[in-house]
Amino acid sequence: MIIIGEKINGSIPSVGKAIANRDADLIRNLAKIQAEANADYIDCCASVNVDELETIKWLIDLIQETTDVPICIDSPDPQVCADAMQFCKKAGIVNSVSLEGNKIDTIFPAIAGTGWGCVALLCDDSGIPKTSARRIEIFKEIMAKAEEFDIAPERLYIDPLVETLGTNGKSFLTFAETTKVIKELYPNVHITSGLSNISFGLPVRKMINMSFMVLAMQAGMDSAIVDPTNRDMMGIIYATDALLGNDDFCMEYIGAYRDNIFGPPPKD
Amino acid sequence: MSKLQEVMKAVETGKLKQIEELVQSAIDEGIEANEILNAMIETMGVIGDKFQRNEIFVPEMLVAGLTMKKGVEVLKPLLAGANVTSYGKFIIGTVQGDLHDIGKNLVALMVESAGFEVIDLGVDVPAQKFVEAIKANPDCKVVGVSALLTTTMEAMKVTVKAIIDAGLKSQVKILVGGAPITPEFAEEIGADAYTPDAGSAAQKAKELAS
Repeated sequence: MIIIGEKINGSIPSVGKAIANRDADLIRNLAKIQAEANADYIDCCASVNVDELETIKWLIDLIQETTDVPICIDSPDPQVCADAMQFCKKAGIVNSVSLEGNKIDTIFPAIAGTGWGCVALLCDDSGIPKTSARRIEIFKEIMAKAEEFDIAPERLYIDPLVETLGTNGKSFLTFAETTKVIKELYPNVHITSGLSNISFGLPVRKMINMSFMVLAMQAGMDSAIVDPTNRDMMGIIYATDALLGNDDFCMEYIGAYRDNIFGPPPKD
Repeated sequence: MSKLQEVMKAVETGKLKQIEELVQSAIDEGIEANEILNAMIETMGVIGDKFQRNEIFVPEMLVAGLTMKKGVEVLKPLLAGANVTSYGKFIIGTVQGDLHDIGKNLVALMVESAGFEVIDLGVDVPAQKFVEAIKANPDCKVVGVSALLTTTMEAMKVTVKAIIDAGLKSQVKILVGGAPITPEFAEEIGADAYTPDAGSAAQKAKELAS
């Protein structure tokens, strides 16, 4: 499972405040605890209206002072994504493209010929498609573009998108169906999800989020944008990977337990 | 780290993919096959101790045992005829009516790693089959009998009695184990020893064989 740590995001109020006050220690600490929690990438989203590129550079520099874990550059502005790549010491992931506006035409040329990966959302200018069939159409268009720029399928992290379960009871089923079709077409493409949208408006959201994680992994999801310091969620991820036959002799599961990624918290 | 230490470390950490190459390079350095074998046996002793102390988990012990097995395969051609520490044969099985094999397999693996030649009779083994196997292997000094259910403890009693009644107690010592078994029960049915886990079973088997 490829874990993209979600904690450095300006839309989280405490992080937004830290960005506004240029509180470097808080950001460094978020990078540190996510790296220690086995994050494979650290998402970096400024979520500011002005000086976004400068802000994202400040964040990237702080993360790179703290850890070698590669960065997932997260911005709604494709030009910011493309421009911020130069601040990173090693190839990471761009988050994200879709068929909205000029996103793909800005970002794919920027990552062509590099080791960078890219998250691709299966939506277009008219929003999240209701049906799996339409999402697959968008997927195919994205893959055609990727081929044009010689971007291999394993560099892409497809987010089939989840609607809120509380307003659409078939939300997960559409996600799972889309995932399965994509994996049949391109077994090497990664499937990822931001997932917390699934539980919006419901009580005890973590129940929905964790159940989604298990079912989505069985459907073929092999990456997620989550909080790696969430011990219950991480435990579920390692356990599910083992149950799905992705972990010989449960060594990853045991190793993560020993590394204190999940299980009873350490006593002081 | 010396080559021998590397081999030991690889067994301890279950490096299945590297063990053959490491054992071969130890041989190439001129280390005696017997010495390499004993180093691996020693490591499995450490693994057994750690398991008893709940410091490692079942799959870790399993992989260590499998790693050693793979390493021994490399040594085998060199060990033939060599003066190797051996405790003789160890016959093991789960009693009639009981299909559990995880604990039994772990004991077999650890006992084999300790220097026994293991004859595994499998699960659901009738008492008579234990008796015949012991008779057929006069160099067998220890037999391990496993039962995992309260309902099959009776079959363990029957098995131990059959071995005693066949007059085989002068040849073999009987080691019993399994979730519902207690030292008191072992004594009551006439077994020689009870151990609670695979690591201590291997240790006890060595004691019983010497």
